[in-house]
Amino acid sequence: MEYILEMKDISKTFPGVKALDHVQLQIKAGEVHALMGENGAGKSTLMKILMGIYSKDEGGEILFDGQPYEVSNPKEAMDHGVAMIHQELNPILDMSVFENIFVGRELRKHGLVDSKAEIREAQKLIEECGLHVSPKEKLRNLTVAQCQLIEIIKAISINAKIIIMDEPTAAITEREVELLFGHIRRLKEKGVAIIYISHRMDEIFSICDRVSVYRDGHYIGSGETKDLTEAQLIKMMVGREITDVFPKLDAQIGEVIFEAKNIVRADNKVKGVDFSVRKGEILGIGGLVGAGRSELVEGIFGMHELSSGEIYVKGKKVNVHSPRDIIKEGVALITEDRKVTGLNLSGSVNDNIAMVAIRKLVSNGLYNQNKARSASQEYIKKLNIKTPSGEQIVGNLSGGNQQKVVIAKWLLNDPDIIILDEPTRGIDVGAKRDIYLLLGQLVQQGKAVIMISSEIPELMGVCDRIMVMCEGNLSGEVKRDEFSQERIMTLASAIEV
Amino acid sequence: MKKTKNAKALISEYFIFVIFIALVIVLACLKPSFIQPSNLVNILKQASINGILAFGMMFVIIAGGFDMSVGSTVAFAGILAAMLGQGQYPLVVPLVVAMLAGLAVGVVNGVGVAVGDLPPFIMTLGTMTAVRGLALLTSNGKPITGISQEYKAVAANSIAGIPMLAVFLIIVILICSFILAKTVYGRRVYACGGNLQAARVSGINTTMIRISTFAIAGLLAGLSGFLMTSRVTIGQPTAAESYEMDAITACVVGGVSMSGGVGKPWGVVVGCLLITVIANGLDIMGVSSHWQKIVKGAIIVLAVLIDVKGKSKKN
Amino acid sequence: MSKKRILAMLMASAMTLGMVSGCGNSGTDGSQDSDASTDSTDGAYKIALIQQHQTNAFQIAVSEAAEEKAEEMGVDLTILSADQDAATQISQIEQCVSEGYDAILFEPVDPDGLCDAAKSAADAGVVVINIISACTDWENYGISAVSYGDNVKAGETEMQHVADLLGGKGNIAILTGPSGDSGGLQRMEGYENVLKNYPDMVQVVSPADCQWDTASAQATVESWLSAYDLDAIICENDGMAVGAGNAAGANSGIIITGVDGTPDGFEAIKDGRITGTVSQNGGAMAANAIEAAVTLLSGGTLEENVIITDNTWIDASNVADYE
Repeated sequence: MEYILEMKDISKTFPGVKALDHVQLQIKAGEVHALMGENGAGKSTLMKILMGIYSKDEGGEILFDGQPYEVSNPKEAMDHGVAMIHQELNPILDMSVFENIFVGRELRKHGLVDSKAEIREAQKLIEECGLHVSPKEKLRNLTVAQCQLIEIIKAISINAKIIIMDEPTAAITEREVELLFGHIRRLKEKGVAIIYISHRMDEIFSICDRVSVYRDGHYIGSGETKDLTEAQLIKMMVGREITDVFPKLDAQIGEVIFEAKNIVRADNKVKGVDFSVRKGEILGIGGLVGAGRSELVEGIFGMHELSSGEIYVKGKKVNVHSPRDIIKEGVALITEDRKVTGLNLSGSVNDNIAMVAIRKLVSNGLYNQNKARSASQEYIKKLNIKTPSGEQIVGNLSGGNQQKVVIAKWLLNDPDIIILDEPTRGIDVGAKRDIYLLLGQLVQQGKAVIMISSEIPELMGVCDRIMVMCEGNLSGEVKRDEFSQERIMTLASAIEV
Repeated sequence: MKKTKNAKALISEYFIFVIFIALVIVLACLKPSFIQPSNLVNILKQASINGILAFGMMFVIIAGGFDMSVGSTVAFAGILAAMLGQGQYPLVVPLVVAMLAGLAVGVVNGVGVAVGDLPPFIMTLGTMTAVRGLALLTSNGKPITGISQEYKAVAANSIAGIPMLAVFLIIVILICSFILAKTVYGRRVYACGGNLQAARVSGINTTMIRISTFAIAGLLAGLSGFLMTSRVTIGQPTAAESYEMDAITACVVGGVSMSGGVGKPWGVVVGCLLITVIANGLDIMGVSSHWQKIVKGAIIVLAVLIDVKGKSKKN
Repeated sequence: MSKKRILAMLMASAMTLGMVSGCGNSGTDGSQDSDASTDSTDGAYKIALIQQHQTNAFQIAVSEAAEEKAEEMGVDLTILSADQDAATQISQIEQCVSEGYDAILFEPVDPDGLCDAAKSAADAGVVVINIISACTDWENYGISAVSYGDNVKAGETEMQHVADLLGGKGNIAILTGPSGDSGGLQRMEGYENVLKNYPDMVQVVSPADCQWDTASAQATVESWLSAYDLDAIICENDGMAVGAGNAAGANSGIIITGVDGTPDGFEAIKDGRITGTVSQNGGAMAANAIEAAVTLLSGGTLEENVIITDNTWIDASNVADYE
């Protein structure tokens, strides 16, 4: 038998939408198989059918180990040996690490939960993964990356024959990615098949054996990764050639427009950082997860108390006690977690875009719906937001389009300094490119951009200058003509050279 | 250094307990009769029914739900127990019938919420109203008198100086704490409340878990109804008005998070004792009813505020 | 409390629905009469009785006596409950007027809030009578008569018996109904009228609001007894007296009294948990009101438009006569 899993002729119709149209997928035992396609291509839907979260339409069949495979919920899928690490992280924050690992399949002794055995097992698994946390620690106290690794550990520990990893590296750093790849290789040797969903090209080529590509609910094709080039893959995904992944527009770099001096946060997560940014410049902030990058910009933005530090915007000293103080001066912060701090997911696109600059949309003291609608229309067009209308509920848009809505919301306020925290996390190639172009246009207009990213190629492709942080300190700064992956990694891990 | 840190963490974790002890000391200083053994027995008796309800409520809230109907269920079960507890049947009959009636209300709530996908507040608000009507209908609006001496004795008697009501509470506390801490089921209740979606994709039958927590709350409300009738010696259709609020208060004061997934049984015990001690202490000091309401409200808000502040300092 | 309001709204809509579909509690009794009345133009009078609520023995006694009297006098009686909500009662009165009732008898949920509704009903030609308690300035709002037991007098009777039993000297405590309830306030007024004459009867704690509730009274009295030496506990209704009696235990030597004369009170008198109660004959109040309504509707006049039902003191010596 050649394939451990065969999905043939699968369709799925949602009210009004054909999410999958007669698609197929074949997985061999012991291979890492990439699923590629832009958001909305149908990868997630296909995987949810495999996990029993959605039921497929009539017709089509799924064979697992040559046997017909019918599941109606995740438990049945897991009983068959199919596990999934979800893209939307699903940790139970108020439970401990070991409880999360064993949730739904608790170890028992005399019919009761055997916490001791669970802790012991968890400890072993955690050590194998090179993670340094106590099994009894609550997930609430862990970083996003650590939570992601816990999810991976959970799937590994299930002894699955197929593990689906949906964007497993979206929130973890390169070092952790290497650890993860180590695990994937070990799982491969044991004959476990991995279905790997990612938008990161470098990962696809370094870890995956084969790839299947989908577009708009259709199956496009499959192939061995060694026979494919990046350009060919992108063409299959997008349906057209994208020559330039990181478009860089020329902009005139002018005088210093924003300066932060000796920023120390009251909780000591940032320990004295100085930096400045000029008009027309894109400044990157690199570093590992937990290095204090988000903490730095959130501190500057008045979201957390600073114990010392001075902030100058356009040469004027600003006392920041709350985000309002600095928004007034023309600074915008597009936060890391758009779902938590960026968007009202159950509101419409129009409502969301109007949120920050609502004062501009007032006439005669009242909120003017028409003004809001036309302003929103303008940005939907400018930013190429793919939405049926401005009335669409934001929660129904894809990640890339949600991110564009967050950006539009801030641009409407016409800021001069725009800070973006992981703006391309979890969004597809096309949308990423749109965002890079937009950043270029902004600096061409004489604005300044500060961008935090964990993807070094992205920082190198887009920024004029990169400052690197490590453990709450500024560990170094690299100019565009000195950019190199090694240099930045060294600074990020603070290895003295 | 490390030791003091641990001590600090310990204090913030058990802050509500510290507040409770402080309150007891203050009351004892203001009015020495407060710590007389006879009054401590009173406190136990007065805490029992609310305590049993609060433990049922704890399951529902930890699993991410909310139950407004327990007060009405107490009244309905109490009426049934009073009708069957006139001495014509062995005492176990009213007990079992009251608990089954409570269980039935709980299952209806649970199915409405977990299967019908209704918000818990709306579903249980509906049953709260309907079950109160059922209690009035069954009793024809009148109190049911004439329960047997044997039945009255259930609440009136004590074992080794501990009132029987408190014995029931202690049994409920032990069983519920064991279930939550030691069983697979208990673990899954926390998982459902912590993140329903995560629990579902981890293969937990979240529908059954959610129904069962409402069923437990109903079952314990039925038991409370049985005890209530014994304590007041009559079955009243209007009894236990707004008891659900006291049960919810005990949970929240005891550190059970209204968003689900968090809460320890001992916290609910302390929360429940705290409310009872406030009412008892103010009665003893002869504080007027109008002031009592203000003081009770203020102490509850303050206790939770200090608790939350104490905890947030830690992080 | 908003919870109560929602409940009241649900109840009110249920009630309105009931009335629209022409439901009446006395349907079976009255239907014969109304069938007969289709032949003659001056058939049975349509009378509505709107109770404050129907959730205790006192109120149930009111409904039962009213139904009995209606049958006896051949009137078509509909009984409604306002469930303690003034807004519900107002809309019930409006509904009854538009349904063409000849007379409306009601116990005001709020003595002030129902005045205007009563006046509009009276202006529409309906005979309006208050039972059990009266609206403020009722005569000015077109209310033809009131039939009640005087709550102030009931309070006086209760406290006088306590004073006699104590010999005018002792530590006392009072349990009240919900703060602001007019019946409770009037009973309290009666207590105070008597206490003026007995300076040696001392209230050692402030009156406690126990919401007419047995369990709540029981908890309060338990707490009191561990801190105070009480000779008498005076309660504004029997339910709370039973709670106080449970806390004190049978034959405790503490004088415990109530008002109402309900079955749970009688039971507690018999087994010695409470000393006595002042019976308010709610049934007689309703029956007298129906009689008055019929008199007025048939063109007669009332000798006295304030109809007082006397209260009686019931204790272990005479409780058997009242059960």
